[in-house]
Amino acid sequence: MNAPVSYGGMNRLPNRGQFIDRSKPVTFSFEGAFVEGYEGDTIASALAANGQWIVSRSFKYHRPRGVLTMVGQDANTLVQVAEEPNCLADKRKIAPGLVVEGQNYFGSFESDSGRFVEWVSKFLPVGFYYKTFHEKRASWKFWEPIVRKMAGLGKIDPHAHHGYYDKQYLFADVAVIGGGPAGMAAAIEAAKAGGEVILIDENPKLGGCLNYARFDESGEAACKAEGDLLNAVQAASNIRVMTDAVVSGLFADNWIPVIRGNRFYKLRAKAVVVATGSIEQPAVFRNNDLPGIMLGSAAQRLIHFYGVRPGKKAVILTANDDGYAQAIDLLKIGAEVAAVVDLREVPPVTPLSFAVRKASIPVLAGHAIQEAYHHNKEHVVGVAVAPIVAEGQLGDPTASYDCDLVCMSVGYSPAAHLLLQAGAKFAYSTETAMFHPAQIPAGLYAAGSVGGVFDLDRVRADGARAGWAAAKQAGLSVGAEPVTPGDTQDRNQTHPWPIFPHAKGGEFVDFDEDLKYADLINGIADGFDNVELLKRYSTVGMGPSQGKHSAVAAVRIVARETGRDLATLTVTTQRPPYTPEKFGHLAGRIFDPERRTAMHHRHLELGAQMMPAGIWWRPAYYGPKAEREKAIREEVLAVRNNVGLIDVSTLGGLDVRGPDAAEFLNRMYTFTYAKLAIGKSRYVLMTDQAGVITDDGVACRFSEEHFYVTATTSGVDAVYRSMLQWNAQWRLDVDVANVTAAYAGVNIAGPKSRAVLQKVCTDIDLSSEAFPYLGVRMGTVAGIPARLLRVGFVGELGYEIHVPYGFGEALWDALMEAGAGDNIRPFGVEAQRVLRLEKGHIIVSQDTDGLTNVWEADMPWALAKTKPFFVGGRSTQIMAKMPLIRKLVGFTLDDPSLPCPEECHLVIRQGEIVGRVTSAVRSPNLGKVVGLAYVHPDDAEPDAKIAIKVDGGRMIEARVVALPFYDSAAKRQEM
Amino acid sequence: MGALPKVFAQNQLRRSPIYRLTQAAGAFCEVINSGAVPMHYGNSDSELDRARRMAIADLSGLPRTGFKGTGTVDWLAGQGLTIGPDSNMAYRQDGGALAARLAPTEIFLIDGLEATGALIDRLNGAWNWGTEKPRKLIGYPMPRQDSHAWFMITGDAAPDMFAKICGVDLRPHKFAPGRIAQTSLAKMSGIVIRDDRGAIPAFHLLADVASAEYLWGAVLDAMSEFGGAPVGLQALRRLGEVPS
Amino acid sequence: MKVMNCPLNGPRNISEFVWGGEVKPMPDETKLSDREWAEYVFLENNTAGVVREWWCHVPTSFWFIAERNTVTDEIVKTYPASEVFKARVDFAPKSERAKP
Repeated sequence: MNAPVSYGGMNRLPNRGQFIDRSKPVTFSFEGAFVEGYEGDTIASALAANGQWIVSRSFKYHRPRGVLTMVGQDANTLVQVAEEPNCLADKRKIAPGLVVEGQNYFGSFESDSGRFVEWVSKFLPVGFYYKTFHEKRASWKFWEPIVRKMAGLGKIDPHAHHGYYDKQYLFADVAVIGGGPAGMAAAIEAAKAGGEVILIDENPKLGGCLNYARFDESGEAACKAEGDLLNAVQAASNIRVMTDAVVSGLFADNWIPVIRGNRFYKLRAKAVVVATGSIEQPAVFRNNDLPGIMLGSAAQRLIHFYGVRPGKKAVILTANDDGYAQAIDLLKIGAEVAAVVDLREVPPVTPLSFAVRKASIPVLAGHAIQEAYHHNKEHVVGVAVAPIVAEGQLGDPTASYDCDLVCMSVGYSPAAHLLLQAGAKFAYSTETAMFHPAQIPAGLYAAGSVGGVFDLDRVRADGARAGWAAAKQAGLSVGAEPVTPGDTQDRNQTHPWPIFPHAKGGEFVDFDEDLKYADLINGIADGFDNVELLKRYSTVGMGPSQGKHSAVAAVRIVARETGRDLATLTVTTQRPPYTPEKFGHLAGRIFDPERRTAMHHRHLELGAQMMPAGIWWRPAYYGPKAEREKAIREEVLAVRNNVGLIDVSTLGGLDVRGPDAAEFLNRMYTFTYAKLAIGKSRYVLMTDQAGVITDDGVACRFSEEHFYVTATTSGVDAVYRSMLQWNAQWRLDVDVANVTAAYAGVNIAGPKSRAVLQKVCTDIDLSSEAFPYLGVRMGTVAGIPARLLRVGFVGELGYEIHVPYGFGEALWDALMEAGAGDNIRPFGVEAQRVLRLEKGHIIVSQDTDGLTNVWEADMPWALAKTKPFFVGGRSTQIMAKMPLIRKLVGFTLDDPSLPCPEECHLVIRQGEIVGRVTSAVRSPNLGKVVGLAYVHPDDAEPDAKIAIKVDGGRMIEARVVALPFYDSAAKRQEM
Repeated sequence: MGALPKVFAQNQLRRSPIYRLTQAAGAFCEVINSGAVPMHYGNSDSELDRARRMAIADLSGLPRTGFKGTGTVDWLAGQGLTIGPDSNMAYRQDGGALAARLAPTEIFLIDGLEATGALIDRLNGAWNWGTEKPRKLIGYPMPRQDSHAWFMITGDAAPDMFAKICGVDLRPHKFAPGRIAQTSLAKMSGIVIRDDRGAIPAFHLLADVASAEYLWGAVLDAMSEFGGAPVGLQALRRLGEVPS
Repeated sequence: MKVMNCPLNGPRNISEFVWGGEVKPMPDETKLSDREWAEYVFLENNTAGVVREWWCHVPTSFWFIAERNTVTDEIVKTYPASEVFKARVDFAPKSERAKP
């Protein structure tokens, strides 16, 4: 009993604060000073407990700002937590050692030199950006450094460490969003049908308003309702409760993102109950943004969540019964209530208002706050109160009160964001002065105050109704429909015009964006008299809280200024997320699949520099980066003069089998395959329906009904998919299998390749007579079952050897060992590119683009003349009759001092762009630059001169030459 | 558990796509199907416990094959296999192999954990083009030993782990034994087959062999919050024997 | 994220699918003028209402047909391509066909 008691700050109340654990003090720092709070405190509640009411500063004018909602719905409490900017201080829990700083101030937090901005605010008018930068581009140079310094929220640390975020799927029959009385009642009713129910709430505890609001003088009504509902939720084993979890959006087919901690849940439900409640709205009057002026619900949250006294002496501005409940709350904690100022001309007498009057608290009906007074703008110190003489108009002040707290409780707006995102339509009711759901998409149900129901018993009944309907929608077997009261909308919650402009201004409509009443009036006067236009022009509703407190006020102002009926207007479009979410949540634990060949680690062991090819990794060359050119050159020369080994596993592989296999290839490719001999291969070139070249490779015939077709690394998946789609229409008797990854492959190439291969391949006669160029065989290599292809991509004697993936590394090892005596050299993609370019072979998608046809690529030799059909055939035929626009040719540079052009350098003819370089390299074998380029058709003949614009705009001359550049008789590959 | 002679994957002709990773984790291997298969990682008893909670095993070395195309199912039935009518269901064969019907005319056949290879070898040997004219259509063999890596994921936490990488609801009451999901896992395509070991939820995971190292890492990461880690084939075999 | 019902694999997230264009049966290319052929290749109806489209379930490479309302983005129904394409398609040899 005699242990020292820490109250965790001078404003800490005994015996209250259901979210905090008084046995666990937590110390953190704010602006360099140590602050003590309790576990469960938010930054804002701990600061408030210690008398620190300024939490941050406003975006534009750097005005001191304090708590407004205490539930993360506003941007007043954005703070910097260590390296993380824009944390909501009224949501972020404190933790030992947390380093917190305010945002948006220059100099010091307490004395911000940026506040001069407000003195010059007439120079920052509404529509500042539009007016200043429209047709006056030069002015940006003047304003940019000022704007950049002034605007922006928080500090980004580019070296911030990457936290661990991840994602998880969740599944439910019924999802209930919002754990207040409506949501709990809905979940309980839905669970009776036996399905899986998930009940989600953003607070640490279920209960919603029952955790802080007062429905009767004693507080028993809320207490009993909460007890009943919590017990029933707990008793239902099929309700999964997620607290501290924010639903940030509601997407098609009930796809619901739920953020809790560092995890982003992706919930899919068959039906959804939206019981998100409503958002208390501030009143608009002069200096309504001062610290100490907060929503009535925020004061109650401070008291009941955190055990923090929101003030010692309060003025309550209200237009409903909740203001009187707040007065009782304040009295119960020993605070003084200077006055209750009720906007209503004749407030109804209710048990709560009676209790307030009984306590001798002055109640001023038909009055409003005309102006709030402050000390150095740091805190409210008093208010002037005046009678309302007409809508939004006040008479002369009749009273003033000293106070350190103003509670605003003048009405609500439904927290309709999720429903609106999902496509619901809301309409304004002049009876209730609120927007109400007029149309809700199938599968979604609104319950509670989001639908305009406020009375506690009726809220519970409304929740049960929605839960029952959702369970039915989810296909569960439901019992009898619960009885619901007919008319459930409450009419005495929200005042239609809690907006009181002042001659001196300073009445904030949008706290996020520092917009005052006059700014909106001026925006409308500038012609932006539509709500959506005014939003863009004035930025109302565009801040971090996305109009939660400003959208309805803006609509009201537009309606009145333009003489339109409010019922015909809607609030601006609501877009996800409901509250700001982090990139970390969206990114999650980034899944970035990559493909590695069976020999991947051998390449690394050999010092390869790897490069991506789609999602595959391939060796670019072997050796240190500093010796790139040397490595590529040596690899090229090894293939030309000796023997090299390249991993070609990434090449696409398709097994095409069946009675119609040859007919199918005839239709898919430009050549003809019916008469291709078994044991032979033939080039394949694919065009799409428009006649554009899309892929190439070779077709190897292993039997009458079996072709093994290769495709490009990047193209094979599309080729495979396209083949299946076509055959879904043709219904040929053919089976296509994508076996790309199942086979590892190498190409052993060079004059000595046969000799090396012979050492490990004994069951195939490798002689040029028995296994000639373009032949294909099945056999074994080093005891491994293999498909062997004699291909000529690099233009030397060579064998592609394809083996099952699991044997790939053993194959590589066997060939490297067999070739060791001959100094076999692994070569990479870079060397292969040089080698194939010397041979003039194109690479589809490097030397072709999304328009290249057979004529432009100069490949009519690949067209079959007589077959009935191939995909793209008709278009190719039509284009043959059309004038050629460009043609792909080989070129060389005669002047050895000229730089080697790069890919996409332009070909210029008479001042016009006529083409581009697609590939170019300084050939180690030929001792000169060779390349491929699109040129004007009139320049396509050998010896034509073309002009290429290289780096720095320099024009160089190149000469068109016949392909190939190397071994034009093609003797070497046929050895 | 007797000490196994030290077997190194790299001495075998056939190698698991992730042999470096299991070897680095301390796998003790046995040669099965001309490849090294991790049997345990040093402590079979603790691996059994782990397998009950959350574990992954590399079965890429075990025998498997596949057939696809017109006539496949009739031919396999003629070879003595029992294959039910539903696609995306796996059917148990005598001797323990599982015939996964991926589509009306596509079967992916994985051996039982005893891994005798008997049925799979017999089928691979039996299939040929034949000499009949016109040829009888019996489907076509698929290189399933090599196209897919094969992992088994076991433990009570397995469905929760899958929910972190896969959008299909694999919880036991929603995904019955024998069910197959061909879906996206950690952003790559894969096949999940539920095949409980005793009373413990267990799933075969078959996915692109070339991305095996990536997927192994992604699954290990996803299971770390459940205490998951690799186990050897021995633990899976014991899981099937011991009532838990 | 929308859900699409794959005739082979059941309801799945739309991210498992790729779109394959509108279903438009190929006309006899020998009977069309060049212009008519170009219109077939390049022009799409872009109907406001229910359209028939090719969709492919990527993990299984399974092509099927979906009827989708482009106004409401509602997927009306899905079914195997064989319900539309029932018979084998053959192309007459060139010699037997009229010149376009």
